Amino acid sequence: MSRSRKSREARANAPRGESTVAARFHQLVNPASLILVCAIGLTLLGLTVLFSASQSYQSDPYFYVRKQITWLGVALLVGFLAARVNLEKLRALTWWFVAIALLGLVAVAIPGVGVEVNGSRRWLDIGIGRLQVSEFAKLVMVFGLAHYLSANLSRIRTFWRGFALPLAGVGVFCLLILLEPDFGTAMLTGAVGTTMMLLAGVRLLYLVPSVLAGAGLLSLAIYLDPVRLARITSFLDVEANRSDGAYQLWQAILAFGAGGVEGVGIGNGRQQMAFLPEAHTDFIFAIVGEELGLTFTLAVVIAFLLIFLAGILHLRRAPNLFQFLLVAGSLLLLTLQAIINLGVVTGLLPTKGMSLPFISYGGSNLLLMAMIVGLMINTQTAWSRPVLRDSERGLKEVAI
Amino acid sequence: MQKGLVSVFRLALVCLVVFASFGGIAARLVHLQVFERDELVSEVERARKRVRILHARRGEIRDSNGNLLAVSRPVVQVGVDPHSVRVEDEPMLPHLAELLGLPVEKVVEAFNRKTVTSSDGRRVRQVRWVKLADGVSEETYEDIMLLGIKGVYGNRQYRRTYPGGSLAAHIIGYINRENTAVMGVERYMDFYLRGQDGWREQERDGRGGELAQFRGREILPRDGYHVVLSIDSVVQHYVEAELRRIVDKFDPVGATIIVSDPKTGYILALANHPTFDLNSYNTADIASQRNRAITDIYEPGSTFKIVAASAALDLGLVNPQTTFDCSLEAVSRRGRLQRLPGDTHHYESLTVAEIVAKSSNRGAAHLGILLGENRLYQYARAFGFGQETGFAFGGEVAGILHPVDKWDGLTITRLPMGHAVGVTPMQIHSAMAAIANDGVLMRPQVSRRIIDRDGNIVAEFQPIERRRVVSRETAREMAHLLMGVCAPGGTAPKAAIPGFEVAGKTGTTQKIIDGRYSRSHHVGSFIGFFPASDPRLVISVIIDDARLSGTAYGSTVAAPSFKAIGEKLIQYLGISPVAAPPVGSLAGGPDNFSLNRDRIR
Repeated sequence: MSRSRKSREARANAPRGESTVAARFHQLVNPASLILVCAIGLTLLGLTVLFSASQSYQSDPYFYVRKQITWLGVALLVGFLAARVNLEKLRALTWWFVAIALLGLVAVAIPGVGVEVNGSRRWLDIGIGRLQVSEFAKLVMVFGLAHYLSANLSRIRTFWRGFALPLAGVGVFCLLILLEPDFGTAMLTGAVGTTMMLLAGVRLLYLVPSVLAGAGLLSLAIYLDPVRLARITSFLDVEANRSDGAYQLWQAILAFGAGGVEGVGIGNGRQQMAFLPEAHTDFIFAIVGEELGLTFTLAVVIAFLLIFLAGILHLRRAPNLFQFLLVAGSLLLLTLQAIINLGVVTGLLPTKGMSLPFISYGGSNLLLMAMIVGLMINTQTAWSRPVLRDSERGLKEVAI
Repeated sequence: MQKGLVSVFRLALVCLVVFASFGGIAARLVHLQVFERDELVSEVERARKRVRILHARRGEIRDSNGNLLAVSRPVVQVGVDPHSVRVEDEPMLPHLAELLGLPVEKVVEAFNRKTVTSSDGRRVRQVRWVKLADGVSEETYEDIMLLGIKGVYGNRQYRRTYPGGSLAAHIIGYINRENTAVMGVERYMDFYLRGQDGWREQERDGRGGELAQFRGREILPRDGYHVVLSIDSVVQHYVEAELRRIVDKFDPVGATIIVSDPKTGYILALANHPTFDLNSYNTADIASQRNRAITDIYEPGSTFKIVAASAALDLGLVNPQTTFDCSLEAVSRRGRLQRLPGDTHHYESLTVAEIVAKSSNRGAAHLGILLGENRLYQYARAFGFGQETGFAFGGEVAGILHPVDKWDGLTITRLPMGHAVGVTPMQIHSAMAAIANDGVLMRPQVSRRIIDRDGNIVAEFQPIERRRVVSRETAREMAHLLMGVCAPGGTAPKAAIPGFEVAGKTGTTQKIIDGRYSRSHHVGSFIGFFPASDPRLVISVIIDDARLSGTAYGSTVAAPSFKAIGEKLIQYLGISPVAAPPVGSLAGGPDNFSLNRDRIR
């Protein structure tokens, strides 16, 4: 935060157009580059811990790391493209994207086309690996919603065009993802969608009751589904259910305890040795906790917080509502996913499959995150500098 | 860029939720990693750390030539982790079943037993190990590993095997499934054999596998010592073969043969019928596991006559040429008429030598009367009757030899002929061995030494003299008289081995069936040694209730077996005949047995 403030002071003091040292400084030290630095740091940490966490899975200790590095190469390419593309031109293709994404989600559901793993059909096989369609559908949903909401800004406070229709659009995405089934991603998509509607100015009178109703429906669905209900009840009493329902979570909590403040050291963690299932994917944060301790777990939390803060600060320079909502929505995709994962692994939220951005093993999510970081860099260079008077600075800035 | 794209309030609301979430997560991390740390670490230790027992390898039991009689072989217990099984391995299951010798369905069932429900039916636990087979050999295990079925693996353990099967079964004994030594050398040498288990602190992974890199303190196991017996497998073999022949021929209720070295007391062979296979002890009749040589008593009959004869000679009351009138049916003793037992033949007068050779009951009774109750009892005790031989195996009984004050009026005439007394085969064998050993009673022993894995001697079991029973001269004299038994005119010419001086004594007793002496059930025995002037072997053959048409005399059922075994052992052990001393040289000198006359008070 202090760095961005410094850069602002530097800019404020420097005469406009006169872009020598201060401008160069601004070019380097800006919200997007802060996000990039955090993202790179998290990715490197992820690779390191992944190497340790996946030791006991395969005979080849480099198996997962090699695959992840391959994905990272693809991700860099995708991120570069996302940083270069003209968003306004892309906006013209919105409905194509939406159509393709929906088609993809439907295709995944067709047996024979979608790849089934552990009873869920979420993937399409594309030569170099499996692609999880919902990861990209999330971003397309954000893109489409940003486009629609900004185009219908004048009718945003009406019921049908301002509330019901966008909600239905979000609902279609959620429903298709829910059918895979992927409860976690569906919830995340729904949460990001409604938050974007909230930011766009949809009437709280409509929004609040519908969110409450959604929460009610959700509770009912959980209550009626014995598997989910068992998850919730076992979550509420982890220690009593440590041998079955909450086994995984209990092992994760043990990992954090074993790590303490300083951690046991990279490669010395033992919870991944068949104690903790999914140690290299959804529960990798527990391995960070065991091997690197509180210092790094807090550093990870702070890194995600910094990404969010830098993104929010960045938003004040958004040229229009479309781009504002696009960036805000993307930022929320990243942040909420991190919050849900960290919450699950530390036992604050009931267990559901959700990977930790940048750190967990998995190609699709890494590609999505690369796109989001690319989008930040894209907008950083594309958005003109804000014209702000000193009097307008302060907390307001954030909201502009 | 226009001011107020979105509501400050709404954006602030979103930020607040996000900040609160991250704050909550950070607080939770501090809570887990700092405040709850100690408690969680102890939980982790409990789940990971384990003290594993490192089993010591039990020592071997070997015969006097180093042949293995009992050995602990490393074997593999093969099992499967049903959660590691892959579908593509399914075609291999019939091969696995074949290698393990199990029906395919059992293997498939084991592969699919993924969970187990607790007894109260509430909890379902994952099964990570289902045992498929015990005691798989190392070679078979290698073949199984070559199948490459994921999740199938084995744990090494030791299994006790007895290469000889039933060979010397009653001596060796066995270890049961719970690793408890049940009988025989296994049990009574358990202290040396079992070794000392070690332990190791180790960590395990979630599947229970050991993490070798995190090994903690350890104490290595100390393997057990080997026990070397005095049993000679070859002798044992001859004896068991002869025993089988006896069983085939006479189908007796029981039979015992003991072969030992009279000078040391070491047992070379000991076999009982019925016997059992040590490797399948669990299916064997418990009666067949009894070491009858030390646990069963019988009335010895005429073999016991050596006691009265030796005693009378030792005390100088008689010499071999002393005659007794064996036509008398009763003698006057202490003012009363004492009835004498009858013989199968009618005799007029018999010398002591003839009483022994012809096994005259009446003659023995005369000797008994001559000795009197106390001296007869003291000599019987001195020969080891009525007390354990000290043969270091449990279950040995002392036999029955009543003290004088419990005798009835007939005992003085019945005891000398081996009635009214209960002895074990080992006792009568030891008594005969004392005659062969110049009058010194030795403790029968079966263990020679204890050696460690490198062959160093840890302990030796030296011959143990129990006591001198009769003088050397008396013993020699007695040996000479016993040669007469196997000579023509004696009771057991069938025991004679051409070219060798064989000394021995037959015994035949009616078994007591329903409280009365039976006319059709007998115990026939022959106990002898050779060469008489320098005895190398004592052999006892005792046959309980041989089935044959006539009386199962010791001379007809037992003596031939004595000879058969003797002839084989002469060859095997290279025993050379000792020239028979001129007849009468031992019998003649009356001063020979005056030396220890007063030793027994």
